[in-house]
Amino acid sequence: MVVLAALSALRRFRQNARSIAGVFILAALCGCASLLPQSASLRETLPPELHRKIELTEVPFFPQTEYQCGPAALATLLNEAGVKVTPEDLVPEVYLPERKGSLQIEMLAAPRRHGLVSYQLAPRFSDLLTEIAAGNPVIVLQNLGFKEGWHYAVAIGYDYDWGKLYLRSGQSRRQVMPFAISEFVWMRSGYWAMVALPPDRIPATAEESRWLSAVAALERPDPRAARTAYQTFLKRWPENVNAVIGLANTHHALGELRDAEAVLRRAAQLDPNSVIVLNNLAQTLSDEGRDAEALQFIERAAELGGPFAGAVEETRKAIRARLKK
Amino acid sequence: MNVWAKIISRLLIALMIWTPYQIATAGIIGTDQVVASSSQVDRTTVLNFLSRSDVANKLQSLGIDPATANDRVAAMSDQEVQSLAGRINSMPAGGTSTGAAVLLIIIIAAAVWWFWQR
Repeated sequence: MVVLAALSALRRFRQNARSIAGVFILAALCGCASLLPQSASLRETLPPELHRKIELTEVPFFPQTEYQCGPAALATLLNEAGVKVTPEDLVPEVYLPERKGSLQIEMLAAPRRHGLVSYQLAPRFSDLLTEIAAGNPVIVLQNLGFKEGWHYAVAIGYDYDWGKLYLRSGQSRRQVMPFAISEFVWMRSGYWAMVALPPDRIPATAEESRWLSAVAALERPDPRAARTAYQTFLKRWPENVNAVIGLANTHHALGELRDAEAVLRRAAQLDPNSVIVLNNLAQTLSDEGRDAEALQFIERAAELGGPFAGAVEETRKAIRARLKK
Repeated sequence: MNVWAKIISRLLIALMIWTPYQIATAGIIGTDQVVASSSQVDRTTVLNFLSRSDVANKLQSLGIDPATANDRVAAMSDQEVQSLAGRINSMPAGGTSTGAAVLLIIIIAAAVWWFWQR
């Protein structure tokens, strides 16, 4: 449609300059609602629970040095979450010299090394605004150029009535960007956005299963913080057996075998036929030196079978071997 | 070397990779595996072992020293390692210093915005 409009405009080029302008305005008007779908639907309604205007003025600002918007944006989020780091500290954690930039996955991974949970938002403009309204600055990946113009900025506020987003970006402490332009530069990353929060908090837009994966990812780099995050998770979603297993695993990793056992026994009541619960409970008991008790649980796990049968068999062998000694 | 010998030696290599890792995973079943879809568990365990060193090597080739590369991979989840392995070069790397390109885009976008407003 836009192409047709341009063609007809070209044909009439010598005829009438005013009609050209008219055609382009028409093309822009028709195109925008489909080109920028999220700003268009935001114009209709704002989620009712949101403020019409908010700006997190306390969020710190780290001006970007050459190519290093990744470390600068991350430092902004981390300091806001109470972790004292400078962009320079984060360069060895996210920056790739040969690519002159930082990858999205590494942006998500780095906060875990500082005990925070990283969460990639659902690709929705309203979710971005919801997080800001909840007091969480959001890193967005924008494309400002034609091919390799990828850039991280931190959204820290908005004014719905004026349709404007406020960002800490590059060299500017307070960049003001209309919603439509924000969407235009943001949509090319598939609306990629992330938050990083201390383990005793949950993002405003968190979905249960995706938040659980985010917490599980913290287990390896920082089991102590992950333990707190699981406890926070279980206050919100107490029925989630996988989160209970995760909590027990962090206890086990920290050498708190008694706690791991207690948590797993509770999980076994919640879901008596979970092979994973039975296997991990058996292993924990065995680590406590109670192999006879452990054997009962692992035998039951073996009877149930399923995709973890291999791991269960290994555990059973190990427990039997210990009993023979 | 005939075809069978080739197949058998490949099979042996695969088995040798598998064996030590199985021993390492016996015991506690990790939450990463629980959260992943359960039908793929066995496959991902092996793939993941290979992928972590693969991604660490890739990071090294992009200018990171070996110890730092390992630390960086250690902070990633299994899923993240999987999605990085093999396609690190095609992924966007945010790093643009805000400059001329930004100005151009903003002018174009501002024009679009202005038309759209009224």
